[in-house]
This record gives sequence, C-alpha cells and structure tokens, in this order.
Amino acid sequence: MSFFGFNTTLPRDRDHPPSGSRGFFENPDPFAEVAAQALDDDDAIDFEDTYDGLGDQLDDDQDAFNDDTFGGGGADGGKVGRDFDFFGKTAQVSDAIGEEQVRFALQNPQTARVAPQVSNQPAAEPPAKRSGYEKYSDPDFIPDLQAKSSVWGIPQKKPEPSISLPQSRKMMSLEEVEAQMRNQGVHPSHSMPPQIQDSSYLRHPQDLPTLPDGFPNLPPELLRAQFERGGLPPHMAPPPPGIPELYAGGPGPAPPGLPLHMIQNNVPPQNIPLSGPRHAGPPPGQRNQHQQQQMVPPPSSRAGNNGLPIITNPQQIMQLTEDQRSAYLVEDAKRAKRNHKIFLLSRGNGLMTPQDKNFITRIQLQQLVAAAGNVADSDPEAVLAEDFYYQVYSQIRGAPRQHPHQPLGHFAQTYLLQTGARFGGHGNRRAFQNADNHMQRMQQQVQRAVEAAKAKPKNKQLIIEGSLGKISFSNAKAPKPMLNLKRPDSSEGTRPKKIQSDLSISDRKSILTNIEHVYSTLMSMEDMERTMPPPPEDGDADAIQEHLEWRQKVHSLNQQLWKALKVMEPIGKKAIPRIFRHIDQEQRVTILTMIVVNLDSLDVVRLAQPSGPNDAQLPVAVREAIDLFSLAVMPSLLGYVNEAPFNIIIGLLGLVIAQTQVVSVARTKTGLGILTMLLSRAEIVKEAGQASERDWQQWVEKFNDLFDMLEPGLADIFPGSINSGDDMYVWQFLAAVGIGASPEQQQRLVIAVKDRVMETVGYSKTLPADMASQRLGNVNLFMRAIGLDVELLG
Amino acid sequence: MLFFSFFKTLTNQTVTIELKNDIRIRGILKSVDQYLNIKLDDVEVLELVKYPHLSAVKNMFIRGSVVRYVILPRSEVDVGLLEDATRREAANQAGKAR
Repeated sequence: MSFFGFNTTLPRDRDHPPSGSRGFFENPDPFAEVAAQALDDDDAIDFEDTYDGLGDQLDDDQDAFNDDTFGGGGADGGKVGRDFDFFGKTAQVSDAIGEEQVRFALQNPQTARVAPQVSNQPAAEPPAKRSGYEKYSDPDFIPDLQAKSSVWGIPQKKPEPSISLPQSRKMMSLEEVEAQMRNQGVHPSHSMPPQIQDSSYLRHPQDLPTLPDGFPNLPPELLRAQFERGGLPPHMAPPPPGIPELYAGGPGPAPPGLPLHMIQNNVPPQNIPLSGPRHAGPPPGQRNQHQQQQMVPPPSSRAGNNGLPIITNPQQIMQLTEDQRSAYLVEDAKRAKRNHKIFLLSRGNGLMTPQDKNFITRIQLQQLVAAAGNVADSDPEAVLAEDFYYQVYSQIRGAPRQHPHQPLGHFAQTYLLQTGARFGGHGNRRAFQNADNHMQRMQQQVQRAVEAAKAKPKNKQLIIEGSLGKISFSNAKAPKPMLNLKRPDSSEGTRPKKIQSDLSISDRKSILTNIEHVYSTLMSMEDMERTMPPPPEDGDADAIQEHLEWRQKVHSLNQQLWKALKVMEPIGKKAIPRIFRHIDQEQRVTILTMIVVNLDSLDVVRLAQPSGPNDAQLPVAVREAIDLFSLAVMPSLLGYVNEAPFNIIIGLLGLVIAQTQVVSVARTKTGLGILTMLLSRAEIVKEAGQASERDWQQWVEKFNDLFDMLEPGLADIFPGSINSGDDMYVWQFLAAVGIGASPEQQQRLVIAVKDRVMETVGYSKTLPADMASQRLGNVNLFMRAIGLDVELLG
Repeated sequence: MLFFSFFKTLTNQTVTIELKNDIRIRGILKSVDQYLNIKLDDVEVLELVKYPHLSAVKNMFIRGSVVRYVILPRSEVDVGLLEDATRREAANQAGKAR
C-alpha cells in the first residue's frame, strides 16, 4: 500500500509478494527507491563518468609563479607588496584600449564618426546641444569612476612586467611605507614625455618625436602611414595648434577617462545652428568664444591658462604639483558648471521658430487684454471708480503712487512697441516683411481682443453642454464670485422703500436712507465739480455751450440735493459742511433757520440736558455727538452767520426766543454756542457801524427779552461742578452777553455769576500754574467784557 | 476692489494680522494684491511662545484667504473718505448688477 501511490516495493522485494503492510513506514529507507530506480535504469551517476579529468592535467611543477601571479608569498607570509597602485595598472590597460580605439578610428573613419553620435545621444538631437552632460540624462549611465593614483601619492610608473615586483620584501612599518610614498610623491617622474606637443609636429609627421602621455606604445609608423596616405580624412578638420591631434581633431570617440569638457570639444563649432534673434541661450558669438577658449589656447600660453598646462589626459594631472592640480580641478569644476548652465539654457534652443514665438506672444497679449477686462479701455474715471479710496487718499496724503493712472492698455501698447523694435533689427528684407506682417497681425489681434473684451457679455459663467459643472471666467480685476446672490429686480427693489417712506418719515431707517440720498447726490455734485470745464473764453462757442450745460447739470443736481435734503427732516450732521459748499445763501439761511427753530429737539440739545445739578457726566454717545456737532456743523453755521446781514441775525434771535425754551437751550453747550454766535455777530455789526438805527432798536429789544429770560437760570448754565474744567464756552457766552448788555444788565450779570467767578478764582489757586492761568483766562474773558479783571478780585 | 484699494493705502504701515488659525503677526505691510494676499516685512509674531517655529521668520507672504483680521493703525484711515468710497463701491455694485 502506498500513501502517495508510489511503487513501494523494494527492488529486492519485487520478486516476492508483499509480506505485510507497514503503511508509510513500510520502507525503512526512504531514499532507497531513488537508488533502486537508478539501478533499474542503469544510468546511475558515477563519479568516474562525470569527472572530466581536468585535475589530471594539472602540472604541479608549474606552480612556481603562483606567488607572482596572485601576489601572495604564502611561504614566508610577510611579503606584503607596496604596489597598491591599482589605478596605475588599470591605466596601463586603458592606455592600450585608447590606442586600439585611435587606431580603429584612423582605419575606419566612417564608422568611427558615426559611432559616437549613436552611442552618446539620440540622432535627432543637433550636436550643438552637447554640453558634456548628455550622458547624465541616461538613467543607466554611470560616470567613469576612475580612481586617481595621485590619491595614494604614487607617481605614474612606467609599465613594467608584473614579475619585477618591488625588491624590498622585508616587513615595513606603516610609517616607513608612508615615508617612502611621500618621498616618491615629491619627485615627479622625469621619464614622462612633454605634455604639449609642438605645434609644428603636424606638419612634420616624419619626426613624430613624442606622443601625448598615455600612448607610449603607439607606433609612429601608424601615424606616419596615415599622413602619407593623403593626410587626414576630410571630415577631420586639422585641429588648432597646441592641441594634440589625436584628441582634439577628430570627432572620434573620446578616450575613456577624459574630463567631460574634453568631450565637448569634439563638437565642431560650425555645427552650432544660427538661431533666431531671440535666441534663448547665449548668443552664438559668445558661445563660439567660449568654445574657442577651450579649444584654442593661444600658443603663447603653452603652459596653459593661468599657468596651468593643458590637460589632455587624466594622467597628466598626476604629474602636476599640488597647487596646479587643485587649481586645475577648480577650473574644471567651473567649466563643468558653466557648461551645465549653458546646457540648461539651451535645452530648448531651436525648438520654436520665430513664427511660433510670435504666435505665443499674440496669445499672451490677448490674455493680457482679457485680464484687464473692461479696465483695459478705461479712462482715469473708471480707474477712479475702481480704486477710489486709494486714488483720493494718495492725492490727499501724498502717498507713493505706482502709476495709478496708467491703464493696462497702455502697458500692452508699450509692449507692442518693444516687440516692434526688436523685429526692426532684421537686416533681411524678407524677414523684415515677415516681421512687419506679424506686427500688423498682432496689433489687429490686440484690437480685436480689446473690442471683444468691451463687448464681452456680462455673464461670468459658461455652461458647456454635457459638462458637469460651470466654467467661470475670472480674472484679476473680477475674481470669481464666491457667493452668487440673486438681486431683486430694480423695480422690486424700489417699491418697499417707497412704501416705507410713505408710512413713516421719521423712523430711523428712512432717515438714514434720506441721509444716504443726500450723500450720493453730494458725491455726484462733487464729481460734477471735478469735471467742470475750464471757464469759457470769448468767442469759443463750444466751450460756452459746454459750460452752460455743466451749469445746468449742477443746478439740477442742486435741486435734487435740496429735495433730498428734505429740510424739514433731521439730517446728518457730517453732511452739513459739504452741503454748505454747494448751496446758495437762501438755502443756507433755511438750514440755519431750521436748526435754530428745532434747537430744542436737536439731539445734541435734547439729550444734553443735565439731569441733576451734580450730574456733570453726559453719556459718551451724547458727548461725541456734541463734539461732532461743534466740529462739523458749527463752523459752517459760523461761517455763514459771520456774513449774514443783521436782519437775519435779529430774526434768528427772535426765533430762538419765540420758539424754544431758552433756559433749557442755554444749559447745553450747543445751544450756548449758537447763542454766542448770534450775539457776537450782532456786536461785530454794531462795532462796524453797519447796523441801522431801526435794526439796532429791534436787536436791543430782542436782547433784553433774551436777557430777562436767561437771568434766573444764569447760575445753572455752568456744566457740573467747578472742577470739571470744561466751562470755557460758558465764559465765552457770558462775555458775548456782557459786551452787548447795558451797564445795568452787566451788574445783574455779575451778581448772577459772582459766586462762580469767585469759586473759579479760588479753585485755580490750588491748580498747577498753567492750568490755573488757563482757568483764570477763561474767567477774564468775561470780566474784561464788562470792564473788569480777575486781578481786581485779588 | 474697495478693500484692495483700501489696503493699498496702508503699505509701509505696521499692521497686525490675525490668521484663521489664531496666529497673530505684526509687521510692516509691504504689498497687497487683489486677492488680498499680503506681504509682511519685519515680522513679529505675538505670543511667540506658542509658535516657536515662527521665531526665525523675518518676512512672509500670507495668502489672503487665511486672514481673519487685519488690525490697522487708526490714524492712517480717513474715515470720511472711506465712507464715500464705500458709497461709491455700493453704487458701482448696484450698477454692475443691473
């Protein structure tokens, strides 16, 4: 029975029927089967059959040179050689390889010329692009990693048979070895041939005295034979003098181990394509020069650039002094770097024809124009609209301006001009025509692009059929909108507003809306002012017409503003000064009247009433409002009042008395300010003697009324307690009252405020000098007005 | 373009920028573009202890979308002008929408 279905019977058992079943372990020797089968097939492996008998051929007698061959002195064990110069040995071999290659190149010029191109780079690539780095683009390329024996400080040795091993076989200490090496290092071998060949050697091939190092065994007959056979093959241009012909002349395969820049020298300069004017790489002249630098050292500098010999073979490096060598290596690195740079720059050389470049330029210009969008054709006005804050701010503050008024279209134009200039450089007539043509086409293109941008539909999205999303055009000026709000139609938008304004005029929102209206009208008026045409000159009908039109517009805007102002309604304080610039006298009077009449209800008066005798601090918002009012509105009013005729002042004072609670008005800063304004104006008019007798009588009447009304509350008009400090405007008012008052009134005035005066004087004595004098000065303002002085009070 | 226009006037001013990840950076505003990307010079990170990795940074370019606040020098803002500019901007927007 077999577990795996094998024939489990042993050969010796085969003849007999199985005696018993032991399962898998029936067979005591699991491997016996193999042997059995082998025996059965009669081809069992026999050692004698498979052994080839090579060992029999060994000749033990010829082991004598084993030590020499393998370098081991097994017998005495300590014979450590000093020939660690693996490179030197390798170099000898490589020399031989080099020789072979040269010989091959000379004998088979055709193949030799084609071969490097095939091996080095794709054939399609023009040779001009060689930089010596081509090899690195091949991922499998492993650069020639030649160890330099100079690392070990061993000078180049003459090739010698390996049998002649170093004589010294005794053990040397490490120091001894090193010392020996150093000694050898400082004495360069004099056995080397001169590195530079005499430039005349090419013309006298018969006396080829020496060859560059590394070719010691090249038979001179070979070269001579080449020359005698008719010189060099035609494709091998005679190399410039000073360079060994074998390396520099032909484009044959570069010997291994050459520095990469030497390989590049194989590129004949005439292969550099004459590229277009917008050559991306270095100009051809420079490039040639660069190559010539490498290829043709001037004969005078036979010792090489910077005193360096020209290195044509890596082994020469070894013969240089340390300084020279390092200098050479630095030079080499520099060259390689430069070559690499040139290579990088010139990678795309010749890929594009001038036509291609023009095409790209046109596309770019088009994009430029498109990116500028509607602004491309903009005038300063549009720029101002887009960039209002910056423009005005920089005008006001004199911030640095970065061509704010130069639209992008301008830029495109300059760009076009530049391109034109560049094309003008062509001497070739045909090329010139071509360029001209391109220029025209480009200009047309730009024009078209500008027009297209102008006519561009407003929708910023494009939904291509079948696409899953929208494509939105966005550019620098109009970035892609992140939120897409649906705006109500204009008709819908205005309707609720109207209803609102009809419903209630005075609610806050509509007031704000009105104020905004005022502002927008104001702004358009200011715009008008900016665009005001120059004053017309005589006989210039057009200018006059223009001016008239402008005036009409201004007038209509003025009306609009006036309507928007809705004089009967509260208006924004800040707008006042700006409005005042644009309205005429009548309108100003109306505004002033409205303010005076409504003095009670103005928030700056209404909210500024002190709630208690000692409650000096008004809410912050109210104080700010008051400050704003006195900063924004008062100057305008003052400016007007100072020019207003006397009767208007009288009328206004009458209005104050008749329409308002004078006492409460007088308890606020704003109210007192306006009263002071009116009173002082009246006084000035009187001083100037412009007031008629009748007017004056009227004024005195009103004044007396005012005084009578004020007198009981005079003590209350001071804000808060004495140490609050901010009471100058009160003294100003009192002074204004005092000037205009009769002596009897002055007396009553003094009695009313006497306490305050005394308090202030007393208080100022406790203050620092400057503050004290300030407070006293305030009091004095009033005292002088009634012919007194603080000094008199002691 | 209002904000762009506005921030342009703040160039060469010291501003503090708070990013959306709470880092606050003070520096001289060198430039702003229409995406409100910001270039800062002479950078100083507030609460540097929390962000030691920024201690060596001397200048930076901040993508506009990560800015939460720009804290401005008050004196450099012309409020009235800004109000007007805002009105204009609103008018422009309304005009464009129509």
